[in-house]
Amino acid sequence: MTQNEKAAAAKKRSHAIMIIVLILLFILFIIPFIMVIINVFKVKTDIVSNPLSLVGEHGFTLQNFPNAMAKMNFFVVFKNSLIITILSTILTILVSAMASFVIVRNGKWKFCSGIFALMVASMVIPFQVLMVPLVSVYGGIFSVLNHRITLILMHTGFSVSMATFMFHGAIHTNIPLELEEAALIDGCTRWQTFWKVVFPLLKPTVATVAIIDAMAFWNDYLLPSLVLTSKELYTIPIATQAFYGTYSSDIGLIMAALLLAMLPILILYLFLQKYIVAGVTAGAVKG
Amino acid sequence: MERNTFSYKLRQILMFAGPGTILFFCVVIVPFIYGLYLTFTSWDGVSANKPFVGFANYAAAFSDSAYWIALGRTAIYSIFAVVFINILAFALAYLVTSGVKGQNFFRAGFFVPNLIGGIVLGYVWKFVFNRAYVAIASAITGAPATSPLATTGGAMFCLIFVSVWQYAGYMMLIYVAGFMSVSDSLKEAAMIDGCTPSQAMRNVTIPLMRSSFVQCIFLSITRCFVVYDVNLSLTKGEPFNTSVMAAMHVYNTAFTYKNYGMGQAEALILFIVCAIVGVTQVMIGKKGEVEA
Amino acid sequence: MKKSTMKKLLVAMLSFAMIFAMAACGGGGSDSGDAASSADGGFTIFNSKMEIQDQFEALAKQYTEETGVPVEVYYSQDTVSAHLATKYASKDPYTLNMVDAKDIYSLAKEYGVDMSDQDWVADTDYAISVDGKVLGFPSSIEARGIIYNAEGIKKITGKDFDPASITTLDGFKALLDELVKGGMEAPVAIMKEDWSLGAHYLQQVYEEREDPEAFVQSLYKGEVDLMKDEKFNSLMDTFDVLKAYNKDKASPIAAERDLSEQGLAEGTVAFMFGGNWDFAEMKKYDYIGGAGMMPVPQNLQDDYTGKLVGGGSKFFYIDGSENTSAEKQQMAKDFLNWLVTSDAGKTFISDTCGMVSPFKSNDVACSDDLGKAVKTFADAGNLVPNYDYDPDDHYSVLGAEMQKYLADQCTREELATAIQNYWKSVTPVEH
Repeated sequence: MTQNEKAAAAKKRSHAIMIIVLILLFILFIIPFIMVIINVFKVKTDIVSNPLSLVGEHGFTLQNFPNAMAKMNFFVVFKNSLIITILSTILTILVSAMASFVIVRNGKWKFCSGIFALMVASMVIPFQVLMVPLVSVYGGIFSVLNHRITLILMHTGFSVSMATFMFHGAIHTNIPLELEEAALIDGCTRWQTFWKVVFPLLKPTVATVAIIDAMAFWNDYLLPSLVLTSKELYTIPIATQAFYGTYSSDIGLIMAALLLAMLPILILYLFLQKYIVAGVTAGAVKG
Repeated sequence: MERNTFSYKLRQILMFAGPGTILFFCVVIVPFIYGLYLTFTSWDGVSANKPFVGFANYAAAFSDSAYWIALGRTAIYSIFAVVFINILAFALAYLVTSGVKGQNFFRAGFFVPNLIGGIVLGYVWKFVFNRAYVAIASAITGAPATSPLATTGGAMFCLIFVSVWQYAGYMMLIYVAGFMSVSDSLKEAAMIDGCTPSQAMRNVTIPLMRSSFVQCIFLSITRCFVVYDVNLSLTKGEPFNTSVMAAMHVYNTAFTYKNYGMGQAEALILFIVCAIVGVTQVMIGKKGEVEA
Repeated sequence: MKKSTMKKLLVAMLSFAMIFAMAACGGGGSDSGDAASSADGGFTIFNSKMEIQDQFEALAKQYTEETGVPVEVYYSQDTVSAHLATKYASKDPYTLNMVDAKDIYSLAKEYGVDMSDQDWVADTDYAISVDGKVLGFPSSIEARGIIYNAEGIKKITGKDFDPASITTLDGFKALLDELVKGGMEAPVAIMKEDWSLGAHYLQQVYEEREDPEAFVQSLYKGEVDLMKDEKFNSLMDTFDVLKAYNKDKASPIAAERDLSEQGLAEGTVAFMFGGNWDFAEMKKYDYIGGAGMMPVPQNLQDDYTGKLVGGGSKFFYIDGSENTSAEKQQMAKDFLNWLVTSDAGKTFISDTCGMVSPFKSNDVACSDDLGKAVKTFADAGNLVPNYDYDPDDHYSVLGAEMQKYLADQCTREELATAIQNYWKSVTPVEH
């Protein structure tokens, strides 16, 4: 066997081990999801008596889907969730990318580093702590609750710190200063430099933040339930709250609602994956 | 050009950081300060009168042994969860960026746990621990097995396990972005210079991914310290209130036991502890960060 | 490249426009807060019983059709106290709020509208009055005891089960043994939830006596020795028997309520300590019929033998804070009257929701089997009243102690000491 063949064989072997490890981990990660899929086609009594059986004693049922959809007024709340998630995510990305840019590039300014430290520290505040003061101020004093725009701006305000934190890291390590300087010398303003040079290079981070935030906004229950009080503004998680009781819950309906709600996020995730992978070319610029 | 004048810089900062900072202040800082004021009152959460009581809530919080026990328990939980989340997330990110077939499929699979929260998460895992595990363990040992959720140590283990399961896919995302930002040409250059793949990983990739590590560790620390959802849906603090984490204790004190001021004071202490741990970690991590 | 940059710029501009819109809106402090509310011109109801939410919404619709008054019914998955706290904080409380009895003493005491002049007051024994004002409107009667499934028992013993024949713990134990012999290996289910053990089972120790208030006061003062208390020992003796026949004996703290209720509905479990609210769940399974309720059998024979513990439950109060106008308060009063006097209201309570009506004039039969049983006890005056003045953390702290006892992690002496120490350590609840 030549040296090359040996190396090739070793590579093949490590590749095979990797695949096996991946598949095992994959199964572990996916089991609960599979359980959801199995049980969503069963009635409650079959779910409780044997969650693992493929078809329950009462047979296969599709009833959970239309029931859940009717009870939660699916199309209206889906549209509401979509509007709020899309606008909040875009707004968060724009304002945090901009903020982190100026914070990184003026890192020596006490003001900038101070704001950054404040944002980082604020990420540890449990939301339950802010809940009552938040509604006291914006409901009790300003009465701006029950508008979509309020929720969008609040979503943004709450997630701006984490997004800034992530963009901060990306700009700090991955955006070469020389590129910006070159653009400035070419006559670009800072504003233009940011949008034409820096922002396109941030694509992988934008994609990551977009997924993380979109998911958080899409699934958030507590904040929307505080802000949106009229039923025609309800988002998916608030619309499904009547499935959850202290003494009982409709597990079949909850699972159906979960599956209906998670599709858009999975699609978004797969779509944005491309941009994360596209980061390879972006990163190559500095090489 | 007037790029170095004070007013130019200030305008720059306002233009770029203004919108984000204003929103952040309105939504986070203003309520936080109001909440701070409430810690000095004996408000019950709903009443119109908020009697001022000075530091009484802090005194009560400091002598609330259940709270400190919960806080200590949260620290132990966080240490284990943070370590395992990050090891697993890094390994997953490495595996799904190494060019194996169907890596997009795997990425989606590892991400799915993030989408299962709340009551469904509790339901599915309770089944796994209470029934599937018990059935398998009883079959193997031949004696009736106890569900891990019914024992003190077991409940902690389950909480850590489920948290790792849930957050590993999330942190994997950030590590994947980190892997992607290290260009292949750098790795190849290192290999040509005689590095083995593992050396290239240790000496080139990992140092360049430092900001990903800082981010992931920080995020996992903060998530774990204020863990509430998993705690509520999986154990509700049972058995015997031995799996009540700090955030759950705070919530119960403020709302269930209607002691809002004291709950808020306890939350503030939790915040300070957590901020110290998290910010220290970021400072240490950022120090050695490689600049582009 | 240029084009996409332009696009991004455009989006950025739009976002800023939105921020200014917000600033303008916020600064103006207009009353647009509830502009979008669909209950404009009407009133709002907060329902805290998830299992009747659908029916309640249908009833609201019917009410609007009949009277022209718009009503919206809301529910929240958050804790009731936390949810109402945020509603009051945002100065947007519901007009009519459904809460537990003890919330009437705190919430309604401050915000509730006095309903003493309402006609329905004379029609019920279960309304809550605080300082001479009627503040709580009872929506139903709920009671605790042992739930049984007579069909399941009959399958094993071959005889009709007569709950009245079980008057003592010894008699109960004999039946359990018979069931075990007949093949039902574990005829009992015990819920491990802290509210069931702490606020429902242990609670009977305070309630089943001449003067519960005096007993609790002496607990506060540390004057009670529970190990010498007949009632405590009697109830714990029964609890020991339940434990011995528990289907989840191997790990009682992992017992799942769903499975226990399913067993009870399908007759594979004969007995469980619970209340008539459990029926809403039981009927979702393959219910074989035969469910009923009987008192917790004890060897101690006293005035409470043969009685369930319970009373009014899920009370409505009308918000009387400055945020709710007099018109809305009047609308809520009218609705409550309608609920009591109209056929639609009576049918809703007793038949549609299967609850036990606390109003004497309601002659619609209760549709739930457990509710029927409770009604029989209530009509015969065989309900021991609830004691509603526990400290708020009582169910959690002592529920955890009861869990330890259930899991054999402490002795009865240790449990008694823990209970005594808890009461000594808390500030007495004023009422």
